[in-house]
Amino acid sequence: MNVRLRRIANRGFTGASVLSVVLLTAALLIILGPMLFKGTTAVFFHGTVEFRKVQLHEFSRGDPAALAKEIAATEKAREPIYRLLDEFRRGIDTGRLEGEARHVYRELGKQLKHRKGVGPEERIRIRRFFRGLRNTLIDAYECTDKDEARALLKEVLSHAQDERLAGTVGERLFRMARDYQELLETFDLGKREEYAAALDEVQQAVRNLFGPEAGKSKVGMPPEDRFGAHRMDMVRRYADDLLYAETWVEVEKGRPLVKKRIPREEQFAGTTLEPLFGLFRDNVDAMFRPRFTVYWQYFLDDAVPGHYFGGVGEEILGTLTVTALAIAFAFPLGVISAAYLVEVAGDNVVVRFIRMSINTLAGVPSIVFGLFGLVFFVMLIQALSGGAHKGECVLACALTVAVLVLPVIIRASEEAIRAVPNSYKEAALALGASRLRCFVTVQLPAALPGILTGVILSLSRAAGETAPFLFVGAAATTDPLWEYAAWDWPWQQVQMLSYGAYDVAMNDRIAGMVPHQQWGMVMTLIGLVLILNILAILVRSRVSRKLRGG
Amino acid sequence: MNDFSETNASAESTLAPEDRADRPPMPAFSVEERPRRQDGEPVVRSRHFSLYYGQKVGVKDITMEVYPQSVTAIIGPSGCGKSTFLRSINRMNDLIPAARAEGELLVNDINVYDKAVNLVNLRQQVGMVFQQPNPFPKSIYDNIAYGPRLQGHRSRGSLDALVERCLRSAALWDEVKDDLKKSALGLSGGQQQRLCIARALATEPKILLMDEPCSALDPIATGRIEDLIAQLKDTYTIVIVTHNMQQAARVSDRTAFLCLGELVEYGATPDIFTKPQVKQTEDYITGRFG
Repeated sequence: MNVRLRRIANRGFTGASVLSVVLLTAALLIILGPMLFKGTTAVFFHGTVEFRKVQLHEFSRGDPAALAKEIAATEKAREPIYRLLDEFRRGIDTGRLEGEARHVYRELGKQLKHRKGVGPEERIRIRRFFRGLRNTLIDAYECTDKDEARALLKEVLSHAQDERLAGTVGERLFRMARDYQELLETFDLGKREEYAAALDEVQQAVRNLFGPEAGKSKVGMPPEDRFGAHRMDMVRRYADDLLYAETWVEVEKGRPLVKKRIPREEQFAGTTLEPLFGLFRDNVDAMFRPRFTVYWQYFLDDAVPGHYFGGVGEEILGTLTVTALAIAFAFPLGVISAAYLVEVAGDNVVVRFIRMSINTLAGVPSIVFGLFGLVFFVMLIQALSGGAHKGECVLACALTVAVLVLPVIIRASEEAIRAVPNSYKEAALALGASRLRCFVTVQLPAALPGILTGVILSLSRAAGETAPFLFVGAAATTDPLWEYAAWDWPWQQVQMLSYGAYDVAMNDRIAGMVPHQQWGMVMTLIGLVLILNILAILVRSRVSRKLRGG
Repeated sequence: MNDFSETNASAESTLAPEDRADRPPMPAFSVEERPRRQDGEPVVRSRHFSLYYGQKVGVKDITMEVYPQSVTAIIGPSGCGKSTFLRSINRMNDLIPAARAEGELLVNDINVYDKAVNLVNLRQQVGMVFQQPNPFPKSIYDNIAYGPRLQGHRSRGSLDALVERCLRSAALWDEVKDDLKKSALGLSGGQQQRLCIARALATEPKILLMDEPCSALDPIATGRIEDLIAQLKDTYTIVIVTHNMQQAARVSDRTAFLCLGELVEYGATPDIFTKPQVKQTEDYITGRFG
């Protein structure tokens, strides 16, 4: 090959290697970048007053006095919304109005019983008369024609001055009739059904945004209903529900209906509810008081059940515990197996079969390990505890993933032990060491960097696995480990980062509402694995330096 | 032409004092002047000893004695079984799976190939230094203390004294005494080999086997090892394998010449080198084959 060609070939080789490094870096950035960036929104975001409420009530953080002032201010800002909604609902909810009317009638009956100077016959007559009024009012409520309703109402109100009903609860009926008269002026009765459905949507959106009305929070409510939208991105999402409606419109005759988004102002055009939406849009800040929050306690807090609020502290502890236990099981077992394979094992059929099995195990899909863990470890724990323990626990998880990473450790250890120069072994034996002491005091320390490489690889795998844990002990929500005594830990179910990410994505109830949790968990998992790897690499490089004579 | 026996005091040297050429001259190639040692009871005795690697012959029918407080050299061309025989003395050949021994090999009147022999004890009594310096990747202190620790010595004080003694015996103390915690791999080749010798001495063996200890070292380091051997032979019995005939002539009291696995001639070093009995020996010594 002449010189020019050789030079081109050399340059090409260098260029190809540089290109591959660039591609690798780019791929890493493209894949990890958005994930990590979105994950940071779990920690850095604009939190609303609801968020601070959650922090106070669930985690006892924050200044109650300042928060109370904030809450008062937001309630003042929100009050017009509630008022508008209430007024509108009164017009819609014929059922309620009807019920109220009947209630008034019943109250009147009771009141009349205790009234002096009214004989039983008179009572019956008054009641009959009032019943007539009540039915007319109810007809007016149910009427869909404005003029007819107006006529009916006028008739009811014509008896407003009847002295038989003066001073009784019957006067309320007339007030109701007058209110309804007012409402009629602004109301399109024909659309009552539509309005009812739309109002429900609006009310649901308001509940999502603001949380339950003051004083209406019930014990036993699921956590996401106890507070309103606690992040501004959630506010935006719910506000979308509030401000826009999705309807089906016929674009072309005879073709299927097409979904269309219309602003709710159009939907409620002309009613008393119309100003609500403009009011909301203009006063979002006052109603929520967003503040830029750095929620670093995200990594320490446990998740208020359901991952709606709170952080991933529990998951981090779970992942670390399972990983540490798994390595604690797999490391000695793996190193001893490797020692056997290198030092003791001959070259017969049995040993070859063992080697083949180990190599095969390295390629088995992780869900198979999960099933194995279920059948073996979980059932074993169940049997050993006589049925008292379900079997699913941290111990089972750790054992399952220990079996998963065992081939990696065995292979790396084998290579490392083989790579120890024979001269060390000879020197040790010549000094009078037995085979075992020679291995433990000379070969093992010299092979340690290679073994640690296997451990580093296993750490990442163990921490990030999801499938093996599905049936052997991972739980979506469970008591955090730190609530148990240390020796109780292995027997609990546990939350883990990898499983948690899967769970939040699949759990329909909250899937769409908390994407920041998913991203946050993934980011935390990547960060955790990175930190573990860096620590292990530091340990390995220290050991390696000492061995090399540093 | 530089005669080695003349000092070169006029030269300004930048070498370290121990490496300078004006140090006491190395012994000249005149073996007649060497005093003959008194022979005692032999410590190593082999009777028709053979070692086979499977079907291949390692050594065949070796009969010789090694006398105490002396240096016995084993010379011969490559592949003639010198190392094989040496390694048989402390049973290092056991590391090779197909090794099989016949005949007798007695160390202190105990057949080392007897089933009842405690290998750990044997190897503590018979130390070995290898061709390539092979210090453990530990500190200098831990290298030397390795053997005693195997025997159960734990006390810091006695270990310190032992380490110093061994390093002094190996003429390494002055160079490393400032930092015994330094890694042994940081020493030079000659220093490492002296460390290995010190390490072998730490178990207080009676016999020291040396398998071409200087072949990987430069001449100056070689010289210092040879000085060391001359000092050690007052206390220990040394068997040294070497393919360097001049070295054998320099350091040893008795020399055995092996060829193709068989013992050709064995006798006092001056006799072997000046009046060899067997023609093969003379051919080898005069360089007709090698």
